[in-house]
Amino acid sequence: MSALAHVAGGDPDFDPSGPVPAPTKRSWTAYLLLLPGALWLGVFFVLPLVQLAAVSLQSRYPGFPGYYYRDVNFENYASALTDYAPHFARSFLYAGLATLLAFVVAYPLAYAMAFKAGKWRNLMMICVVAPFFTSFILRTFAWSQILADEGWVAGTLNFLHLLPGGNIINTPLAVVAGLTYNFLPFMVLPIYASLERADPRVIEAGGDLYANGFTTFRTVTLPMSMPGVLAGTLLTFIPAAGDFVNMELLGPQRGKMVGNVINDQFLAVPGGYPVAASLSFTLMAAILVMVFLYVRRFGTEELV
Amino acid sequence: MAGFREASGDLQLESVTKAFGDFTAVDDIDLHVPRGSFFALLGPSGCGKTTTLRMIAGLEQPTAGRVMIGDTDLTGSRPYERPVNTVFQSYALFPHLTIKDNVSFGPKRRKDKDAATRTDEALELVQMTQFAGRKPAQLSGGQQQRVALARALVNHPEVLLLDEPLGALDLKLRREMQVELKRIQTEVGLTFIHVTHDQEEAMTMADTVAVMNKGHIEQLGAPAALYDLPLTRFVANFLGQANTGVGTIKDTDGDHIVADVLGTPVKILKSRSQVLEGEVLFGVRPEKVTVSRSQPDGAGNDVKGVVRDVSFLGVATSYLVDMPSGTTWSCYEQNLDVEPLDLRPGDEVWLTWNPGHAFGVPVDET
Ligand SMILES: Nc1ncnc2c1ncn2[C@@H]1O[C@H](COP(=O)(O)OP(=O)(O)O)[C@@H](O)[C@H]1O
Ligand SMILES: [Mg+2]
Repeated sequence: MSALAHVAGGDPDFDPSGPVPAPTKRSWTAYLLLLPGALWLGVFFVLPLVQLAAVSLQSRYPGFPGYYYRDVNFENYASALTDYAPHFARSFLYAGLATLLAFVVAYPLAYAMAFKAGKWRNLMMICVVAPFFTSFILRTFAWSQILADEGWVAGTLNFLHLLPGGNIINTPLAVVAGLTYNFLPFMVLPIYASLERADPRVIEAGGDLYANGFTTFRTVTLPMSMPGVLAGTLLTFIPAAGDFVNMELLGPQRGKMVGNVINDQFLAVPGGYPVAASLSFTLMAAILVMVFLYVRRFGTEELV
Repeated sequence: MAGFREASGDLQLESVTKAFGDFTAVDDIDLHVPRGSFFALLGPSGCGKTTTLRMIAGLEQPTAGRVMIGDTDLTGSRPYERPVNTVFQSYALFPHLTIKDNVSFGPKRRKDKDAATRTDEALELVQMTQFAGRKPAQLSGGQQQRVALARALVNHPEVLLLDEPLGALDLKLRREMQVELKRIQTEVGLTFIHVTHDQEEAMTMADTVAVMNKGHIEQLGAPAALYDLPLTRFVANFLGQANTGVGTIKDTDGDHIVADVLGTPVKILKSRSQVLEGEVLFGVRPEKVTVSRSQPDGAGNDVKGVVRDVSFLGVATSYLVDMPSGTTWSCYEQNLDVEPLDLRPGDEVWLTWNPGHAFGVPVDET
């Protein structure tokens, strides 16, 4: 017994995740290896961002549409928030719905791929990734055909009297469907990876310890796949919230998302640059805050 | 779907077979494990030990045969319906739960009102109370092993299955845990089925050992009985060391058979030989062989050999002796005499053993 007390109490401070002593002599190799990436980020991310920030604070020349001068004018932000609040709300609502739907579709798919597919696993993986071989715009165009009033989806639903409005295309429903479809692989792949990594013995241990199939899923499998769910929802929500292509090609004429406003302000409205830039920054900040709160709530240190 | 099965009594496997495709991993096994005993399933890697355990746990269904506890037939029931718990080979702790939540998982699923106290008791039993708040990744292998044990024990299963639970531990820790496991088993009085490929572990811990090979059970019995009288060549070689030779049975002499081994007659007690005619593989354990300089005049078996190596171990001296048949025998002599034999490699010696200490088994492995 004393021998065992020794075993149990042997290393109370044992902690494999503890700090690793830093190498005393810094190696230049590491910095050298970081250089290309840092340059890339500097030229293509930081500089444009600074430029965008500067533009977002500029003022227009009154009476000269399309011209603006350097300034520190926060009015652009004020108008971004007041004039376009509904657009922000729609963006987050549609992106949120698409994320939820993508999760509902992706989880069973990833689960089947990880545990049930057997020899079909690779084929399923190819099917999930295959859409990437054609362009995003092209696929969204294809959806506008599928969901068109003459298409079989709307046709069938109308025949069954299940479509109150009569059409799908040019409705928010079509936008959410398009967003769900387009970002689905970003949800499937991380969830699949985390399920694949789970030790099947751990899941069996749930059954061995009196949990039936559903309880084992709820208390063991799902919590163990949370890192994948977390990554998948972020990878879906973030691009979906900023997307404008789905709204452009599948959505209604009125009631656009914030991505469309930014796009229009940049390309179609003379002198729209400062507003577009301030909208972009506001969107970025809002997403950052949401992601931060979300990760704080659902991610734990061990799981992220 | 049936609910939880309250079953109590001896564990019984009746003609259990498990085939994966056309490969038979477990081949028509019959086992009877008395309630409360410490039973070891011993065999080389890949012989079907884990598969047998998984069928008892319900994680695998037998292709044929029945799994019973007492009078209750558990065949076909789900793992969560059986009063059986497993300590997995890889521990399989829930990585997202604390040690405490790992251990209370079973009691909570069974809606045990005393879940909290039982969890504390189980952690106490394996001396892991101070780590209750940690996650499995923050524990060492030996500590994880204890948690896995507590997580299974806390449920007071009718049968506890341990799949090479000490396999991943270093030698010193393994020896300590062997003693500890034995203590816990005595303390809780549950049926333990302990799977191992370490024959020493099986012999030191178990009341009964079943030696498994290629999907079937070669022999079953108390460790001392298996060591003393193996029934097959596989058991003779797998359990402890055996000095063996092959002979042809030529004659009988009262209670003995007499085999001709390269011209030398070797006697074996009939009751200790599984073959009474034709070819026989005879064996004798190293400590049962006496080494002497001159031919003894007793009624025992004796063969002349040449010393290859001598190791002085303090309490005993171990000799390796080259035999005329080309094999090397190992002999283990207690150092009882004040004057040692003082043998050197190259010296000729006589090896003698009592015919009642030898055993005879079929030459070919089944
Ligand atoms: N699910 C399975 N499918 C196919 N073969 C298996 C499966 N499980 C085990 N086997 C085979 O059955 C044999 C016995 O395996 P196992 O019971 O794990 O052996 P042990 O635990 O004694 O090392 C091995 O040859 C193994 O490859
Ligand atoms: Mg095994």
